[in-house]
Amino acid sequence: MTVHVASVGMGRFGKRSEGLIALATEAANLALEGVGRKPIDLLVVGTMFSSGPYGREAILPRLAGVLGLESASGFRVDSSSGTGGMAFHAAALALETGGFDRALVIGAEKMTDRSTAENTKDLSASLHMSEVAAGATMPGLAAIVASRYLQRHHLTSHVCDVSTVHARAMAAANPNAHFQKAVTLEEAATSRPVALPLRLLHCSAMSDGATAVVLEKGKGPATVLGLGQGFDALRIVDREDLTSFAATRVAARRAYEAAHLTRKEVNVIELHDAFSPFSMITLEDLGVCGPGEALGWFEKGWVGLNGRLPVNPSGGVVGRGHPVAASGLAEIAEVALQLRGEAGAHSIGNRPKVGLAQTISGIGSHNFVTLLGREGA
Amino acid sequence: MTTAPALDLARCESCHTRFLPADGPCPKCGSTHCVPYSSSGVGKVLASTELLYPAAGWSAPHRLVLVELADAVRVLAIVEGSLPAAGAVVEVHRDGDVYRARPEPSA
Repeated sequence: MTVHVASVGMGRFGKRSEGLIALATEAANLALEGVGRKPIDLLVVGTMFSSGPYGREAILPRLAGVLGLESASGFRVDSSSGTGGMAFHAAALALETGGFDRALVIGAEKMTDRSTAENTKDLSASLHMSEVAAGATMPGLAAIVASRYLQRHHLTSHVCDVSTVHARAMAAANPNAHFQKAVTLEEAATSRPVALPLRLLHCSAMSDGATAVVLEKGKGPATVLGLGQGFDALRIVDREDLTSFAATRVAARRAYEAAHLTRKEVNVIELHDAFSPFSMITLEDLGVCGPGEALGWFEKGWVGLNGRLPVNPSGGVVGRGHPVAASGLAEIAEVALQLRGEAGAHSIGNRPKVGLAQTISGIGSHNFVTLLGREGA
Repeated sequence: MTTAPALDLARCESCHTRFLPADGPCPKCGSTHCVPYSSSGVGKVLASTELLYPAAGWSAPHRLVLVELADAVRVLAIVEGSLPAAGAVVEVHRDGDVYRARPEPSA
C-alpha cells in the first residue's frame, strides 16, 4: 500500500481525571503536532460505549470542532475491543482507494468513573446474548478458552503467570502504561480470582486513555505493508477450536499475503493480550511457533526487548491498560514507534524493519492484523 | 440406572450442522430448514470456569462448563455444586433460556 503512519500521539493510559473528549483531544493534538499541523481531510474515531455523560453520542462533530477539522469528512467505528484496529484499517483503505490524502485516526475510551458492573455489562454487549444469559462475562468466556487451552496442551495456570510477568515488566519501561510496576510469578499466581483459572493480574484493567495516529498517502518509516481481518462464530460453542482464534489465523494469512511476507520477516509483534493466556494463543496463531509451544518462547526470554522476536514492548493490554477502543490503535501505534525509532525506553534492541500488530474484538469474533514496515529498509 | 431426560436439538437440512437450542435457525448458515431430534444430553466436559463476578442476575461463585454432547454439539451450561474436571461426564438439560449440567447419574 502507499499509505504510512506519519505520526503517533498517545497520552498516559490509566485512571485519568479528564473526560473522553479531553483524552481524545490530547492524543490527537500530539499526532497533529507530529506532522506540523498539515491539513487533515479524513477523521476516523473509534469508541465503544455508546451512551454516557461524555458526549459519546456526538463524538465526531465534537472532536471535529475542538480540533478545527470541520472541513474534513468523518466516520465513527465500533468493534468493541478491536475498535482501534478497525478504525486504522478503515482509514488506511479510505486513503488507498478514496479521495483522501491525510487522515487523523483516534481510538479513545473513558472507563474508570463507571462501576465494574456497568463496564462488565457494556463489555458483554460484544458477546452472544445466550452466553451472557447463562451468566458469562468477558473474563468468564476468556476463562473457558484458557481452561481449554491449558487442558489441551497439558499446561497449568503458570502460563497465565508467565505472560503477566512479561507484560508488566515491559509496561514498567513505558511511561504511558497504566501499570508502572513489575510483578512476580507469585504475585500473579496468588492475586484475587476473577474467573478461574484467570486471576486479577491475568486480566486487563479498565483504563482511561486515547491514541491517535496521522496516516498519509505515500511511503515512510512506518508504511502499511498489509492489512487482514477475519471473523469467527460469535457464540464460542459454535467454534471448531477453542485453543486457537480462527479470526487471527485468517487475518494473519491475509495480511502476510497482502504484504508478500512471511512471519519470519517480522521483527516485532504487538498483540492483544486482553487476558494473559491470549498472548500465548496469539503467538501460535500468528505462526511464530506450534500449538502449545508459546510458553517456551516466553520462558527462554525470546520475546523480551532484546530477544529474537520482541512481543508487546509497550506492555500489551495487560500492562499498558485497556481503554477498550484505544487498545487496537495503541498496538499499531507501538509498532509504528518502534519502526520510527521513537519508542524511547521501551525500544527493542535492534530497530525493526517489519512489525506486526494484532487486535481482538470480544473473544476473538473479529480480529485484525496490521503489518507495517520501514520503506527501503 | 436412571434414564436421562431427552435434550432437544436440531439438524440443519442445508449444511447438516447439529445445534441447540432447537427452536432457532441454523447458527452456521442461517437456514430455517431444520429437523428437530432428541439426544440423551450426556456429554463430556471440555472446559470449565468459576466466575467470582458473573453477569447481572447471577450470584457468585457461578460455575460454567463447556460440554461436548454426542454428534460434537457443544453447549455452555451452568453447574450447581462442585465444578467437574475436564473429561468428566455430565448430563445437560434445558431450563428456560439456559442449560444446566449435573454429574451423570450412573457416573
